[in-house]
Amino acid sequence: MPEIFEASVRHVDGVSVIDLKGEMNAVAEQALTAAYHQASRDSSKSVLLNFRETTYINSTGIALIVAILAQARKMRQRVLVCGLGEHYRHIFQITRLADFMSLHDDEASAVAEATSAA
Amino acid sequence: MSGNGEREMTTPSDELRDPVARDAANWAPLVQKLQASGVSGDAPNLVDGRRLVGPLQGFGQMWQKTYWVRLSGSDATPAEIMKVWRARFPEFWPRGNRFYPPLAGLEPGEVALFSVSTGPMRLSSGVLVLYADDESFTFMTPQGHMLAAWVTFSAFMEGGSPVAQAQVLMRAQDPIMEISLFLGAQKLEDRQWVHVLSFLARHFGVEAIPETRVTCVDPRRNWSQAKNVWHNAGIRSSIYTLGAPVRWIRAAIRR
Repeated sequence: MPEIFEASVRHVDGVSVIDLKGEMNAVAEQALTAAYHQASRDSSKSVLLNFRETTYINSTGIALIVAILAQARKMRQRVLVCGLGEHYRHIFQITRLADFMSLHDDEASAVAEATSAA
Repeated sequence: MSGNGEREMTTPSDELRDPVARDAANWAPLVQKLQASGVSGDAPNLVDGRRLVGPLQGFGQMWQKTYWVRLSGSDATPAEIMKVWRARFPEFWPRGNRFYPPLAGLEPGEVALFSVSTGPMRLSSGVLVLYADDESFTFMTPQGHMLAAWVTFSAFMEGGSPVAQAQVLMRAQDPIMEISLFLGAQKLEDRQWVHVLSFLARHFGVEAIPETRVTCVDPRRNWSQAKNVWHNAGIRSSIYTLGAPVRWIRAAIRR
């Protein structure tokens, strides 16, 4: 039984953190888009995608992240990522997503980079 | 497993961090430059040595184009549809456009080549099979392809019927291709996938007209990527075609 995908938004030191939970596939589109719009409403300069509780990402899930990156570019927001394991870091490199977002092991280092750059 | 035979507890986050995750075999390995070895047929190979280019690296506006067809009345499962689509992919292409699958099949990491007719000229390029599982597979384009794109083919159940879908997330790779898209190449591309889905539906005994939804994800252009024109497939395909007599003469001399 596939897991339900959830995306929730919180704010840490002026950074919008989107916590992603469950399987990221086609079903995730609505929740992810809604979370991104919520995060953007607060006019944050940086959005952090936290994959710590994401259990699976397929190619459709990766395409959703690309769409988020494109929207962030329009809004002149920076997108950072944390909580990816070795396997998905590798996927972010294959797909060249890593060219456009900085990858961090944990939330603290991502927030530190986002706030120092602000 | 632990040494005493007890199964270790894994949390979702452990699984994501597992270097041998459950979907590891579904993804292509990391490649710096493509190598199209083992492709069936006499395909012009203009992709060797090229880097992969996703929608973020392209030049033009970013579009998401979704084409789908409902296989009403078919009792095929999504997995059965995808098995046929993946194994017989070239058979559903329009006449005159050729797809040369890798000999190993459309497996993650394999490179396929194609040659398509775009009015007066032919364009040749290829794709990497980026991802494949039982219910979907995804292509990613190399430098020189007309599009910087991911194309995901999938099947799923909706309202009790199987649905087959092709979804393209794309930008034109360079300014020349961006102009071409506006001058009609967009329509040619739409026609291509509508044809493929119609023929796939027909294979399952369903006559249906595919539907299309087009969304502009990012209307801005990536001017920093205008340099991609150096790899333009149209220019390189033309050079390849014009060079055919020279290749024939060389081959004859070698014999």
